[in-house]
Amino acid sequence: MDEVLFAGHPTDVCLRLPEPVDRATLHRLVTAAQDRLTSAGLRPGGAAALRLPPSLAYVVNLLATWRAGGQAILLDHRLTDHEVDRALARLTPQVVVAPLRTGGGALKIFVDVTEAVTRYADRPAVSGHAVIQLSSGSTGPSKVIGRTAADLVAEVHRYTRIDGVALPGERIILLPSMVHVLGLVGGLLYGLHAGVELVPPERLSGDAVLAAIGAGTSPATVLGVPFHIGLLASTRPAGPLPQLRRMTTGGELVPAAVARAFTDRYGVPLGNMYGMTEVGVIGTDLHGAHRPSIAPAPGIEVRESGGELWVSCPASPYVGLSDPTRWSDGWLHTRDAGTVDEDTGLVTVRGRLDSQVSVGGMKVDLTEVEATVAELTGVAAAVVVWDGGITAYVQPDGPLSEETLDKLLAERLAGYKRPRALHLLDQLPRTTTGKLVRSTDALRSAVTP
Amino acid sequence: MTMLAELTAKPAAEVSDRIGSMELAWLVHLVEQRYERRLDITDDELAGIRTVDDALLVFRASLTASADG
Repeated sequence: MDEVLFAGHPTDVCLRLPEPVDRATLHRLVTAAQDRLTSAGLRPGGAAALRLPPSLAYVVNLLATWRAGGQAILLDHRLTDHEVDRALARLTPQVVVAPLRTGGGALKIFVDVTEAVTRYADRPAVSGHAVIQLSSGSTGPSKVIGRTAADLVAEVHRYTRIDGVALPGERIILLPSMVHVLGLVGGLLYGLHAGVELVPPERLSGDAVLAAIGAGTSPATVLGVPFHIGLLASTRPAGPLPQLRRMTTGGELVPAAVARAFTDRYGVPLGNMYGMTEVGVIGTDLHGAHRPSIAPAPGIEVRESGGELWVSCPASPYVGLSDPTRWSDGWLHTRDAGTVDEDTGLVTVRGRLDSQVSVGGMKVDLTEVEATVAELTGVAAAVVVWDGGITAYVQPDGPLSEETLDKLLAERLAGYKRPRALHLLDQLPRTTTGKLVRSTDALRSAVTP
Repeated sequence: MTMLAELTAKPAAEVSDRIGSMELAWLVHLVEQRYERRLDITDDELAGIRTVDDALLVFRASLTASADG
């Protein structure tokens, strides 16, 4: 790991928070954290669960886990205790790293964390993967996705061969969470490997992003999700920003009007990336020349099978699940509808084939939300649909207030997975054969008397 | 509500009153752009915001406080 991530000069700055953290300092912090993890019970072949918000503590403990020969289980800090307990019981880490104290606030991108390491189980990791991530699952609990060290290193190298990424000596203004694949590999790991400074803005606002760009002289690439394009497009820069090279986003499709508003204001390319937790970056259009299509990343093959995009992926990334409809014979079935142009090889993604939606770049499976609502005490039936936002229609089984429902859900589902609109109905609309109706129009009219 | 409608590209009448951290960030951003001033809101105040009405109360208090100072 040291050769891939810690090569380079000891005084090179890796992170600006905004205090600079150079390679030697990071190395020293990682070594100290490694001691803490091993004395708490982490051994080679075991796992450490990191339940940390984006922070220096997260970066340090992640790298320390790998240096100790362990598997890192990345738990989004927004997950509820209920969701975390389920994940821990299933993944049996030897230690859990969680904040003792956090400073900052809801709009901070990077927070100050004092972490505590606690012993959890005395078992080896459930798989040989270097990193485990959870993705909202279609059958109740979260899907468990593993990436091997070799696979992560291959993705980092893939980034170095993509035209339009930040180059050594440049900066990445980092907006996506480093717990998820874009921020983790495209930001953190690529940045450490290539000698690109990572600069999280002081907080989540357009002004703070522009301030981060203007705080240095070297070229800067803003990495984010489509929500961040809107933030920048609606911010008036105080003066010219010659350092800004481009903005690149991953996550979901960007409406053409938003893309235009951004390029009109800043006059730099708006790049687009397509990737998945399972394989990392799949394709890019970093010059904004093929929007909405993307070109497959070096070494990645994409093909279309029956309207679905399949991506080359040598081994199944799923832990404890062998579902041939998700992965078979070296191909990941993305569940994204799309086409591959025979002549140019360009890939066009046309949306999901299943019940997965994207909330601010986070994938949420509506089936997971619906199952969680439906199994609550006091709920007879529930339908969860996407209607501009996650919308739940609930048929109570006796007296149930919206407030109670809200409280119960807040205990079980991370904020980004929770319904934005809740409707309580005496009877949910059903078909003549008694099946729940899922059409948004029918559900809407059931609410308005 | 109109500000949130801009984010979701939905008519203001259909915007949900409940807001998450992303909608909240968007509202803070737009209010700051409009008033050309930074809202100094504490972590606790932000954490307590669940609806658009909660947000308005906090924003108003912050704008009034900074106008006094």
